[in-house]
Amino acid sequence: MSGEIFNPNPTVFRSSAKSHSSRSLSTAKKSLWINEPEWSQPDQETDEEEEAIDQDEIFDLIRNIYDPEHPNTLEELHVVSAPQIDIGENRVKVEFTPTVPHCGMSTLIGLSIRVRLIRSLPTRFKLDIVVKPGSHQSENAVNKQLNDKERVAAALENPALVKTVEDCLTGRV
Amino acid sequence: MTSASDSTERLVRTWMASEREEEIVQAVSGMLRQISNGSTSLLNVVKALGEYLTSEEDALRTKGKLRFPLEEYHAINLSILGVEFLSAVLGRCPPEKLNRQAGTIYTNFYADIAQRGIARVLTSFYCSKLEDSETVVPALKGLVSLTKMPSSTSEDVPSILDAIFTHVKMKGLVQSVRFFVFTIIDTLMARHRQVIKDMNDSFLGRYIALVDGEKDPRNLLVAFAIDRVLLIEFDINNFIESLNSTKSLFNITFCYFPITFRPPPNDPYGITTDDLRQALRKCLNSTPAFGPLAVPVFLEKLAAGSPTTKVVIFLISFQTAQLILLKRDTLESMSMCFPVYGSALARSHARKLWNSLKLEIFQPTDPITEEFALKTTQDLVKTIYTSQTADGTDSNIEGLARDACEECIAILREPEKSQAKPAIKILCAFMSTTPSVSRYTVAQTAPYLVKLYAHPDNVAARPSILLLLSDLIAAARNSMAANKVDDSDPLDTPLSPYKDEILSIVSSALKVSSSRDPALACLLGLVSTEKLVSDEELGFIVHTVDEILLEESDEAGETNVPALQLLVTISQKAVHHIKEQTLPLLFSMLPEDAPARDAALDRARAWRILSALNTVCRPLELFETLVIRLTTRLDLLCVPSETVPLPADREPRVAYAHSILITLHQTLLSKVDDGHADVAKYIESLVPRLFNLFIYSALVSNEVNPIATDTRLITVAGQIIGTVVQNTAAQRQDTFIQALFAAYIDGDINRIAEGYHKFPKTSSFSPLNDLSPLQQRNLVILMASAVVPLHKEIQLPVSDLSVFLGNILTWSLAEVEAVVDLQRESTWKMISAILNKHASFFIENMLHEFWPRHIADRSASAESRNRAIRPWVWISKALLVCNHAQASQFADVIFLLFDDEDIKWNAAKSFGDIVRTDTILTKQNHASIKMLYAQRFVGRTLPRIIDGAKDSSEPGKQLSYLVALTSLISSIPKALYFHEMATLIPLLVRGLDLPDHDIRCQVIDTFLAVAEGDSPDIVSDHAPSLITTMLKNSSVENMPSVKVRVSALRYLGVLPNIVRYDVLHPLKATVIKQLAVSLDDPKRAVRKEAVDARTKW
Repeated sequence: MSGEIFNPNPTVFRSSAKSHSSRSLSTAKKSLWINEPEWSQPDQETDEEEEAIDQDEIFDLIRNIYDPEHPNTLEELHVVSAPQIDIGENRVKVEFTPTVPHCGMSTLIGLSIRVRLIRSLPTRFKLDIVVKPGSHQSENAVNKQLNDKERVAAALENPALVKTVEDCLTGRV
Repeated sequence: MTSASDSTERLVRTWMASEREEEIVQAVSGMLRQISNGSTSLLNVVKALGEYLTSEEDALRTKGKLRFPLEEYHAINLSILGVEFLSAVLGRCPPEKLNRQAGTIYTNFYADIAQRGIARVLTSFYCSKLEDSETVVPALKGLVSLTKMPSSTSEDVPSILDAIFTHVKMKGLVQSVRFFVFTIIDTLMARHRQVIKDMNDSFLGRYIALVDGEKDPRNLLVAFAIDRVLLIEFDINNFIESLNSTKSLFNITFCYFPITFRPPPNDPYGITTDDLRQALRKCLNSTPAFGPLAVPVFLEKLAAGSPTTKVVIFLISFQTAQLILLKRDTLESMSMCFPVYGSALARSHARKLWNSLKLEIFQPTDPITEEFALKTTQDLVKTIYTSQTADGTDSNIEGLARDACEECIAILREPEKSQAKPAIKILCAFMSTTPSVSRYTVAQTAPYLVKLYAHPDNVAARPSILLLLSDLIAAARNSMAANKVDDSDPLDTPLSPYKDEILSIVSSALKVSSSRDPALACLLGLVSTEKLVSDEELGFIVHTVDEILLEESDEAGETNVPALQLLVTISQKAVHHIKEQTLPLLFSMLPEDAPARDAALDRARAWRILSALNTVCRPLELFETLVIRLTTRLDLLCVPSETVPLPADREPRVAYAHSILITLHQTLLSKVDDGHADVAKYIESLVPRLFNLFIYSALVSNEVNPIATDTRLITVAGQIIGTVVQNTAAQRQDTFIQALFAAYIDGDINRIAEGYHKFPKTSSFSPLNDLSPLQQRNLVILMASAVVPLHKEIQLPVSDLSVFLGNILTWSLAEVEAVVDLQRESTWKMISAILNKHASFFIENMLHEFWPRHIADRSASAESRNRAIRPWVWISKALLVCNHAQASQFADVIFLLFDDEDIKWNAAKSFGDIVRTDTILTKQNHASIKMLYAQRFVGRTLPRIIDGAKDSSEPGKQLSYLVALTSLISSIPKALYFHEMATLIPLLVRGLDLPDHDIRCQVIDTFLAVAEGDSPDIVSDHAPSLITTMLKNSSVENMPSVKVRVSALRYLGVLPNIVRYDVLHPLKATVIKQLAVSLDDPKRAVRKEAVDARTKW
């Protein structure tokens, strides 16, 4: 871990509140009543409707991970975005975009995403974390490292590395 | 006199000879008593001590003759004791006893100097004792007391100081003794400053040597105070810095900077790091002479606090925290010192200072330090440019401000990059420095950003540019307040030259959705700037914003909050634009009739407009329009004209009417929160109109079935009426309540319900009649809402209150089809509110007739008995809250039901209901609420309930007690039961096995409440059983209720924060494994809590 900063001045995007944008519409679809008074809500105890894990939920899990180099979240730097998440029956594929092609922090970012998802998703899911094709000069190496069970396990044995990952996850920068 | 001196001598001898602490203390206090009552004098004390005081010298003199070393030792020792004793007496002696009364005094020992007074004698005596390392401690102690006496004179000062400087070796003394030295100097400095000033050089040099090397915080606080006086008032030129030695004023202050002291835990002296910092800072900024020496120190300390990269932070985060604090201290000290050190110095070091401050801002270690650095930069700029008179020639700002501005503007060339943010922050900070710098900054930045925006290459970056611009506008606005010299000074607004350009780019930006929010932020800044935007321009802005509202109404998005915020801000300045432009637009967008059931988009749109109206229509004029427009809309909706048939599906229309009423209520509530006085006047218009609509609907309900008979609408209407009555003066309430009762009891509805609809002549209004139809009876809800908030002094217009209350209670319990729960609850709330304010014989009736007949009688039906518990709870509540004498009786009888299978569950649960705060008996409703009523109730009932819950002899009863316990605990604040927590936890854990989901949820919430605050680790002993139970309650197979699952997971997430890790470690693997199950919960809310909990573990 050198002291070199790979991208000292990245572009910051304004984070959109998009996942909430159509909230009133969806409530309007469900109910005739404004502000959902208690008596208009179906009894939760008997509500058996299943809410499956979707793209937005996974995005919510990783959007607030901090970049190791900057006091910005991955969402603000457009490293991750909802459309880059693909979810299947028991498989989740997350694609992320490093801010610069030579970014040496890519594996760290990928590892942070992986750790976050290992902790937060049911064990039935298989995780694939990849950099966006063509966005990194050593794309294959990074992908290989991120999806190799042994290498990930070995990385998580390294206390300094785990600490760094924890800091990215909690934003303690 | 003789006897007095005898007893004095006796006391002195006791002191000398005794080894026992209490006798010594007695001797001192006995002596003091004698001095205070005048039976002896200090002189006598000195006399009596005479032989001991001189004994040392005798001993030395006779040293050769002494045979036994022991004797010599003893003699010296006695001398020390003598000095000590004198100091002890002096220290506690009332000052007036030490005055210069010594004219007649004679002692063989002090014969030659007696006329000069005791104080004088003592002073020189003590000073002579300083020479001796054995007596130095008590002598200093004595000097501390003596110098504080009014009788100490300036003549003594040089000799005292000389003695101290010559003889006292600070390095060899312990802290407490060094403290005496500092105290003496401090006292002398305070009382005889001129004398010391006259000494100047001879004092300063030796003082510096004395202080050098001091480390104790207590001493340093005194030393810093002395240092400040020296630095400000003395001629210090020769002592600022000495080339050949470290002993200089600069050295004895700056060697402590920055303060790294951290008080040990439980520090008895209570000196904080901040005390020291403040004291030291006062020294640092007390003389400009420090300037040239200080700047390099500051720069060095600042650089020392900078880890080179973030990666380093990860590794040494503990030390980093300390470093950051030091850095903030340095920055703050710099801020305070620059103005003292002067602009010339600041200017000459500006470059260097800026270079290191810049680093703190562009690569901040944390936001707070960044803030500090900005503040320091501001102070630096202020210091440099304050001296320049505001001659109006803004363009020739030279030096730092110019360089820094250019540097920042160069960075702004890439407005979307992360460095642009600190750059604009610096420019904004410059705005609040001096008027000339402020003008210069605006003149450089504003046109630059406008130009940047216009450049075709920057289309993608436009939102970022606008965001930067909005920061600049806000800073320009704030700077006007900061730079304002006085109120009369009409400062020109720095932005006015660029206003037109900005307005034109912003209004074009509003049309593009991506740049809309930042553009609105710019407008908000412009509009809230004083004297910047003309009325005409405001009208134009309102027009463009209205267009956005209109355009967005077709989309599915949320309400545009910034746009509304802008309109609200404009409405504070020019309400007519909103009234003339925005309101008509919004009302025209509000649909005439309810959107159909499947028209979700239309419904969402209508809601959005209502919420916009709610936000905008709070000012007096706008609210008036809102009330008129919405009630008209409501009337048309609820009572459509004959020609239009009622739709087959009533529900959407009811819901739409409901949302209109909710909007009115919410707007009213926010007006109450803002303290608007015009709420009260709506008792004349809005309230009668509502009564009119609802009574009319009830009366005609036989023929048609108007939607305003729906209880959900009546409930909201009741809330509106309640809010208005709450805020009405007592006098008006009185006439109102007369009219209300005339309507409800005598059927005279015309006084209360004036309005649009003409009541049918045929049917009469008698809601409180047992035989009335449901629709009329429901209107009791409105009556209750109006009665609950009455002032205490309002008498209800009934002949006998007790009879009236009895009647309505019977009415509410009547077993007729037309009674619904809502009517009942409203009636009981009304009874509760009345009883709380007016004592009545009704209470006796309740205890002696109602209780035995309706509740205690086990032959009655379980359903009616369970129902009768509710009014009982409401009445108990009313009495409890006002501390009525019979409140305890009402609660105590409930215990009698605990073995009653039919109703024990509800009876037990009522304990929580009785004490829980509610929306009826509140200060807003003018209820009479006594202090500590809940404490009294809990103190009385909790021990009994705990005993019952522990007593396993009767399992049925025990269960009731357990239910009562959970219900009570979850209804009261933590402080009321916290002292019992150790007993409560096992009981509460058992409560988690009760079948009732609500109870379980309440218990977990109680645990969550306990987890906050000072001593949350109280649950540590029960952690394993708690974890097992919580895990059971968190999985979907075992617990169908989503609410319980969420709470249980939340509690599991809290545990790692409150229980020590060594307790949790053995359970960690199980918990993490079990939580994985909840990660796959069918409900999203549960999964979210599971993720959080698992991350915590």
